[in-house]
Amino acid sequence: MSRRRMDRTRRTRSQGFRGLLVAAVLALVCGAAATVLKAADNARQIMEESQKRSTAQSQRYEGLLQVFDAKGKVSDKRWTLERLGSFGDSKMVLRFTAPAEVKAVALLVVNHPDRASDQWMWTPAIERDRRIALQDRSTRFFGTDFSFEDLEERDVNQYEYTLVGDDTVDGAATWKIQSVPKQAKSSQYSRSLIWVRKDNYALARIENYAKDQLVRRLAYSDIQNVQGIWTAKVLEMTDVRRNSRTKLTLDKLQYNLPLKEDAFTLQALRR
Amino acid sequence: MILLKLISWPYFRKHVLRTLLTTAGIVIGVAVFVGMHTANQSVLFGFNHTVDRIAGKTQLQVTAGETGFNEEVLETVQSAPSVAVAVPVIEAVVDTGIKGRGSLLVLGTDMTGDRSLRDYDLEEGDEAVIDDPLVFLAQPDSIILTREFAEANGFGVNSTLALGTVLGPRQFTVRGIMKSSGLSTAFGGNLAIMDIYAAQRMFGRGRTFDRIDLSVRDGHSVAEAQQELQRLLGPGFQVDSPAGRGRQFEAMTAAYSMMINISSVLALVIGMFIIYNSFSIAVTQRRSEIGILRALGASRSQIRWLFLGESAVTGIIGSAFGLLAGLVIARAIAASIGTLMRDVYGVAQRADEIATDPRTLGLAMLIGVITSVVAAWIPARQAAAVDPVQALQKGKYQVLSAGESRLRAGVAAVLVLVALVCLVGSGSRIVFYVGFLLVIAAALLLGPLLALGLARLLRPLLRAIRPVEGSLAADSLIQAPRRTSGSVAAVMLSLGLVVAFAGMSGASYNSIIDWMDGALNPDLFVSPSQDVVIRTLRFPQEMGQEIAAIPGVSRVQPVRNARIVYRGTPVMIVATDIQSLSQTVQRKPVVGDAETMWRETAAGRGLTVSDNLAELQKIRLGDTIEIPAPHGTIRLPVVAVVVDYSDQQGTILMDRTLFQQYWHDDSVNLFRVYLQPGATVPDVKARILEHYAGERQVFVLTNRELKEYILRVTDQWFSLSSVQIAVAVLVAILGIVNTLTVSITDRRRELGVLKAVGGLHAQIRGTIWLEALTIGALGLILGLGFGAVNLYYILEIVHRDIAGMRLDYVFPVRVALALVPTMLGAAFIAALWPAESAVRGSLVEALEYE
Repeated sequence: MSRRRMDRTRRTRSQGFRGLLVAAVLALVCGAAATVLKAADNARQIMEESQKRSTAQSQRYEGLLQVFDAKGKVSDKRWTLERLGSFGDSKMVLRFTAPAEVKAVALLVVNHPDRASDQWMWTPAIERDRRIALQDRSTRFFGTDFSFEDLEERDVNQYEYTLVGDDTVDGAATWKIQSVPKQAKSSQYSRSLIWVRKDNYALARIENYAKDQLVRRLAYSDIQNVQGIWTAKVLEMTDVRRNSRTKLTLDKLQYNLPLKEDAFTLQALRR
Repeated sequence: MILLKLISWPYFRKHVLRTLLTTAGIVIGVAVFVGMHTANQSVLFGFNHTVDRIAGKTQLQVTAGETGFNEEVLETVQSAPSVAVAVPVIEAVVDTGIKGRGSLLVLGTDMTGDRSLRDYDLEEGDEAVIDDPLVFLAQPDSIILTREFAEANGFGVNSTLALGTVLGPRQFTVRGIMKSSGLSTAFGGNLAIMDIYAAQRMFGRGRTFDRIDLSVRDGHSVAEAQQELQRLLGPGFQVDSPAGRGRQFEAMTAAYSMMINISSVLALVIGMFIIYNSFSIAVTQRRSEIGILRALGASRSQIRWLFLGESAVTGIIGSAFGLLAGLVIARAIAASIGTLMRDVYGVAQRADEIATDPRTLGLAMLIGVITSVVAAWIPARQAAAVDPVQALQKGKYQVLSAGESRLRAGVAAVLVLVALVCLVGSGSRIVFYVGFLLVIAAALLLGPLLALGLARLLRPLLRAIRPVEGSLAADSLIQAPRRTSGSVAAVMLSLGLVVAFAGMSGASYNSIIDWMDGALNPDLFVSPSQDVVIRTLRFPQEMGQEIAAIPGVSRVQPVRNARIVYRGTPVMIVATDIQSLSQTVQRKPVVGDAETMWRETAAGRGLTVSDNLAELQKIRLGDTIEIPAPHGTIRLPVVAVVVDYSDQQGTILMDRTLFQQYWHDDSVNLFRVYLQPGATVPDVKARILEHYAGERQVFVLTNRELKEYILRVTDQWFSLSSVQIAVAVLVAILGIVNTLTVSITDRRRELGVLKAVGGLHAQIRGTIWLEALTIGALGLILGLGFGAVNLYYILEIVHRDIAGMRLDYVFPVRVALALVPTMLGAAFIAALWPAESAVRGSLVEALEYE
């Protein structure tokens, strides 16, 4: 066999081998991608279902906020919250009712589907409202373990989801889903793990990560059916780095009340 | 080195006092240099430290001079893609009312976002200690203190303290204490943090912020962000790094730094003359020693290097002690310079620590050694030129030869002529300063000749006073002019400086008093702060009507003044009701006519500028000047130039409506109040205070009180003169003691003979005293003459480079008269010890030669 022929044969074999390899790799990649896509689709469907089931046109409750610091000191605050609108496109007014020093301090949150929320705060003692700037949303919400961003609603469309697996939370079977904010969404968290109960699609737990470090954990408990919506009556946020936690207990919770649009404006906040 | 050890060291040991006096010359020069510069640097450091600490992680700051700007600007800044975090800030200096604690710098910030930029580093871990962050924001009386301030005054969390606000004294509740680091070290620890919106209310800011601090988003450079913000905000805003504030402060206080530089340089020159004098004397005294060395084979070069080596060693030792003394001086005067800066420039800062800059210390050391070596250069050359044969001819070497006198006179005449030419063509700054230096050089060259001539003139007078002692004293000076010339030159230089500064301060006083009489003629001034220069507290304009309604008040003029940045320099805007002003003050423009000035300025069609601004910024009548403001750029012609001393960098007078239009700011810094005929100042003052008691913080100054306040600040500004007088007196004493000590040593034989032939102790003493008084008188006469010329140049420097103010030339007669007894007294004191030394000297030793 001439040298040229040998070379051609070797080249042909080599090309054939390479073709097989590419095909195999493509098959593997496509297969994996298909699996990931399916899982992602499932995750998104779960989250959409969860959001759909918890959707209400309006909401009102009285909350008790208890902050337990690392030394065990407890401070209480009470507020009433009213929300109008659906996920990602809602408005919310939160008014503190106790203690006396903070009574009538109010917060207006306007959520947008395509960008971070706008937030204003009203302080009656100086009769001033202040805008809480977008870049400040990672700031702790008045000494609690929630940040201003945590007060915003998580619209499904603002995140990418991946189903990580199954898990059990407080004896209930859950899906464990990873969410990553889309580019458009500015978040202090690089990703979150969300546990969704399989029986009623209620959220059971959220863990928030910043650069792969767990920073906050939100636990949902005392999940009850209120007007057909499975709702956690107790939310407990733990700040892992500070070793402190804040417990929010919802009372007198009502959904789909006839709330007026003009109650969710800066003018209304000042009233 | 061997020569230094074998020749110089024994000489130093034998003449300890003279060595100390020689060294003292350089000690004084270096000490004044280091003291003044270090104190000034400490104040600047204190300011920069405060800016730096407060800035935290701030990369850029948005300001509009001192005026502040509307809140809406914050949203514009926050919306810039290159901005990561932008938070508003208000700063106010308030009186704590706590004795010995001075003012408190209150930083108003938006705590919901500010912690991204500043680490408050609170006690007992994070914000739990702001007992409740929501309460902190909800209650406008909330305040956070530094640990230093809290501990020094016994405050803890939840304790209360009273602070002066525009709403009157208000009780604040301490809701947090910062640890002793970082931010808390700003303003010497006298720092407090409060919510910005509460601060707006407490300090009368309306809906404005002083500035916005921001950090730049990752992926963008600071320069990009700066350009983007400048484009978004327009030229009425400054977007600069926090260090830019320090640069502005330095620009604002440039006049003071210039004064300090002039004083320091002259102190060094004076020190140089003491050294020169000492070494000249040493050379003449050691002529025989030099002659022997030369006879033994020492080269001229070796002799020269021997003296230069001695001077270098003296310079090193003197500079080292000068550094230490300078630091002591700096510590003593830093606080008062800080107060002066606050009173003159209205920028509060503290200088609790001395900022020792190694570069300043190194430079001072170097200057000290170089000065010493330069001062000894001529004596060293003279020593090297000593003829061994002439070395034993005592006394001859101290005479100025006719040739040398002619040469000196000739060179001096040329220098004076060139200086005159420089003066005629002094459009150039360099030419002007060269001319000034030539005048100093001519004065130094002519000094010995004039001293000799004056001594001859004084001889009959001295003989008339005391026939024997007077003649001996005068002859001693006439026969040895070299011995005396250095001391006389040093005294002349120091007195020249004193006269110039005194003349300048006197001229400033006269001009300021004229200006005050013309411009500041209201009966009362209503201010929100005790220090009228502190502009961080402001009144709402509605107060004007309220004051006008008080019985006895006929007219109220609101004044808003604030520094803005004009052509990169901070200048003062004074906005008031020009129409009303034109009816109450008599101000004739130095350029332009009064009628046009009032009419055009009142109508907002023109601007009136101060003469110092016109001089410093080269503005002429009719020039259109552009003032960038937050809401547009003012482009108006200059319709008049007036004398105004409101600010050293210059003042722009405009109508209040114009200011409101371009700054959207109607707040007021000061109300000028005129009374109705028949109303008395105490009554109306009491009514105003009563009207606002418990409601607003109001300080009512009478016309006299305000003028006294301004003159007190002027006094502080010119307090530098008193330091210079002290240095001058010290220099005179040192120089005269030095000269007399040598004179007595030189004349031991003469004095011994005098005693041997029956001269009384009183006569010996009298001779020395008269000699000292004559040196003092010579220095005084020449000093006053030199001062007269120096004053002209200093006034020109003030006009051209320091403050742009044209001050009238008035020779400070009172200061000159006060200097006569001061300097003669100093001369007499300087003569006491040498006279006793002469009286107690051994007759045997004195006549040993005979």
